[in-house]
Amino acid sequence: MAPMKGLTVFIADLRKCRSHEDEEKRVNKELANIRTKFKEPSLNGYNRKKYVCKLVYMALLGYEVSFGHREAVDLVNSTKYSEKQIGYLAISLLMEEDADYGRMVVAAMRRDIHDTNEFNVSLALNAVSNICTREIAEVLTQDIVAQLLSPVASMFIKKKAALCLLRLLRRFPEAVNAQQWAARVIPYLGHRDIGVTLSVASLVTALAQQFPEDTRKAASFAVRRLKSLVIDNEYAAEYIYYKVPAPWLQIKLLRLLQYFPAPESPELRSLLLSILRHIIDVSQDTPRELQQMNAQYSILFEAINLGIQLDIDQGLMQECAVLLGRFITSREINVRYLGLETMAHLAAYIDSLDTIKTYQGVIIQSLRDRDVSVRRRALDLLYSMCDVSSAKTIVSELLRHMVVADFTLREEMALKVAILTEKYATEYSWYVDVMMRLVSLAGDHMGDEVWHRIVQVILGNEELQLYACKIALQTLKAPVCHESALKVSAYVLGEFGHLIANAPDCAPVDQLKALQSKMASGSQSARAVALTTVGKFINLFPEIKTLCLRVLDRYRGALDAELQQRACEYYALATLESEDLMPTVFEEMPPFPERRSALMSRLLKREADTEDQRTWVFGGREINRERKLQKAGKTVEDSEEPPVAAVPQLLEVPEQTRFVADGGQTPEELARVAKSKRHYARLLWENDGILYDGDEIQVGLVAQYKPPAGRVGVFLGNKSTAPIYDISIHVACEESSEKQLVVQQATGQGPLPDSLMPLGQARVFFDVKCIDVFATAPTLRIAYTMAGAPTVSELQMPVTIAHFIDPVTITVADFFSRWKQLGDAAIGEAQNVLKTPFLSTDSGAIQWLRNVVGGAGFALIQGADAEPDNIVGVGIATTENAGRFGCLIRVEPKPAHGLTRVTIRATNPTVAKVVAANINMVFESK
Amino acid sequence: MIRFILVQNRQGKTRLEKWYSQYSNQERHKLKAEVHRTVASRDQKHQSNFVEFHNHRIVYRRYAGLFFCFCIDTNDNELAYLEGIHLFVEVLDSYHGNVCELDLVFNFYLVYAVLDEMILAGEIQETSRSVILGRLDQLSSLE
Repeated sequence: MAPMKGLTVFIADLRKCRSHEDEEKRVNKELANIRTKFKEPSLNGYNRKKYVCKLVYMALLGYEVSFGHREAVDLVNSTKYSEKQIGYLAISLLMEEDADYGRMVVAAMRRDIHDTNEFNVSLALNAVSNICTREIAEVLTQDIVAQLLSPVASMFIKKKAALCLLRLLRRFPEAVNAQQWAARVIPYLGHRDIGVTLSVASLVTALAQQFPEDTRKAASFAVRRLKSLVIDNEYAAEYIYYKVPAPWLQIKLLRLLQYFPAPESPELRSLLLSILRHIIDVSQDTPRELQQMNAQYSILFEAINLGIQLDIDQGLMQECAVLLGRFITSREINVRYLGLETMAHLAAYIDSLDTIKTYQGVIIQSLRDRDVSVRRRALDLLYSMCDVSSAKTIVSELLRHMVVADFTLREEMALKVAILTEKYATEYSWYVDVMMRLVSLAGDHMGDEVWHRIVQVILGNEELQLYACKIALQTLKAPVCHESALKVSAYVLGEFGHLIANAPDCAPVDQLKALQSKMASGSQSARAVALTTVGKFINLFPEIKTLCLRVLDRYRGALDAELQQRACEYYALATLESEDLMPTVFEEMPPFPERRSALMSRLLKREADTEDQRTWVFGGREINRERKLQKAGKTVEDSEEPPVAAVPQLLEVPEQTRFVADGGQTPEELARVAKSKRHYARLLWENDGILYDGDEIQVGLVAQYKPPAGRVGVFLGNKSTAPIYDISIHVACEESSEKQLVVQQATGQGPLPDSLMPLGQARVFFDVKCIDVFATAPTLRIAYTMAGAPTVSELQMPVTIAHFIDPVTITVADFFSRWKQLGDAAIGEAQNVLKTPFLSTDSGAIQWLRNVVGGAGFALIQGADAEPDNIVGVGIATTENAGRFGCLIRVEPKPAHGLTRVTIRATNPTVAKVVAANINMVFESK
Repeated sequence: MIRFILVQNRQGKTRLEKWYSQYSNQERHKLKAEVHRTVASRDQKHQSNFVEFHNHRIVYRRYAGLFFCFCIDTNDNELAYLEGIHLFVEVLDSYHGNVCELDLVFNFYLVYAVLDEMILAGEIQETSRSVILGRLDQLSSLE
């Protein structure tokens, strides 16, 4: 393209400007000029291109450019390549996603993609990858797939098409129908052109994570392609980068293989091993030239990562450990950095840590490296390689280092120390000592999770409490006491101060004095905790009640509302005439239910933000093994026994809702099944309604829930013209749910009548109680005799764990942090894309969706989602013995496709599954 | 995947910006300033070419007065992108004939075209210098 003189002059002018004001003036002048020029009807293509280019330049400098879009679209429609190019550039830089001319752009792209001129096709594909709107995904995906698979398209087009698809797939996975074409893309991994293979490998990597079944063949393609590169030396000369053949492709393929399990065929397995071995052997000597060294090492590190992930040869792993040991002492900083990172990966999987442990000294030394990036990796590695035998050394090194560590690193360090100490503590005193030191040293740099967790652990371990009390009192008596240390100490003494009350210098009055001495300097939140402790002291040690009251009295006039409220309430409580209330309010806290530590979730949250999933996490050995098992377990379940999983069973429930006496699937029968399914579905989000409506009887339900309990009334109506006799109504729980759900006939109601006349009605109430999470709904069994013929009907009763969900209102910010947390923790998630054709035909459909979600027990969080039609809600399921389970729901209706995506995240997998299945059924029977 | 590419001079002026993830104008503005602060303050001799940046990583290399920064995911191969930067610079160098900062300023629209032939959708598309340069020559001969 010939340079545009006017543009060059303009840029030079702007560069000459001395001040920002001058520049702004020049820009405004030019904007005015361009506006007038654009109005001239005789504007030719060259000038249009020049002016649009100037606008782009101004926009890049940060000025607001609010016009010129039409001219940019004109340029896109031009027949000249250079004009088209600038047009697409301007659109990709200036266009807002919801621009009204978006449709014109998509039309132009479509035309260009089908153009016979391959340069135009290339430009359009570049633009697709740069702009990437939903409309593009919906309209152009098929055309782009066709270009990738076309036998005539050039290499350049194939490369671009593959990466466009990748972009669309990542951004709008539901709009590109990837499963349809995923398998057809895979053979391109064997394409002779290295550029095409590289681009396709990126695409297949993403597909492999979404559709492991459909992409299974990719592994053998990748192995063979690697073999030709690494062992057979088959590659075009122009792809050699500083003597290394196609390093980027090698890396991509090695990475792709990490998403598959180790190949089962012995041939592929040994081939893969010999490739890895070859790569390692080649790297034994260090090349002089920087570029060659980097390229070689980048392949080597990826090969080691693959070796670790495959986990098929422990000998190879040990060898890698030695190699990495060499790297972490390298003079090259980049190599040191990557050596430490890769060793952390290795430490998370290798069977024996002995080899790695020999480098412990070096690694600890790296905590003092000049580069903070290296220090961070050293911290990760120390954390990954820590086990019972090395915990004490590592933790004490980390604590020692905490004092001098960068501020940015301290929070993470504190989290890691806390997790390691809890995990590997063999003596109680060690745990308490370390944690108290930790909060004193790093209290300013860590969230509340750490001190909360300490309290939880102490509360949950009786053996720890006495020692913890001693240390708490010591901490309070020390000259300086950190804020978080004050909180922990105050809490511990408030709960267990009586355990040491008889020891010398630990009398109640000593405890109170120590607490008081640190209270004055504490922050508002620390003082609040301390005040509660004073309240607890009144209950624990009646002998110092007057002293305690004096402290409370002083805070009754505190300026801070929280402090004042606490002081006033505790004071009033302690001076009540009746003395019964005090011990109840300040009763010893029960131990916290066992659950995953919030520390770990926080740690994992940091690294979840990647486009391709991580194949491992910096969470330590257990969590990585768990992940691996989960991954393996999932495929086993999927392939071998899908029918016994909990969800499908629930989905089939309505089909079981039938008269036992009835047999075949007549049309009437089918209609009845569909009808009863509708009834059942309705009762999943409404409390009252009809459960069954037959020729002879009608069954209605009235339910009221106060989780974990509830009461369900069953109404039986006689629709026939004859009386019915011998009525019995029972509820039976599935064997698997027997212990989780208790259903009993409510006491204090009269017996069922002996007979029921036509149009008569009988009712019976059941008390239900949810003991633990259950997967299967109970069965309602109604038996009666009509005209001498006994009939039994069994109906699925709409009582599921989802019925024990209460709405909870939280803030938008809280919602997203929990949503993310739950997603990261991957405890329970269920996602379905459901067909909802009524969205486009029924104007009240969105409101109906809201009603369903609200009716199912969720509090709708308004304005949480950028998309106004999306619905998010929060609920909490309560069980009597297993505790409470948070449950978040997100419903994303897409009227244009008649589809709705429903995602449930809960702290319990069964809860998520059941809620998802319920919603599924409700939508299906709308 | 590459989240964004920034080329900045020592004063923090951005000479090339390419965003492969969704960022609002405001976020872009903030990120540019932050990247400059993070990268320019690092010791070129005793520190690595990688630095943690929010939940991602920046891989960067300095050529004369320009910092070439790729922001990538934490599970990406750092060295591969570090050499990707070098390849990009080599291509620019051959294309412009001994490239300097002013080439990036005056021919900004061409730099985007070069980038689109090498990196697309945040992934590396083509790694052969001669293939890229051949294609670019072909494109510049078009009217």
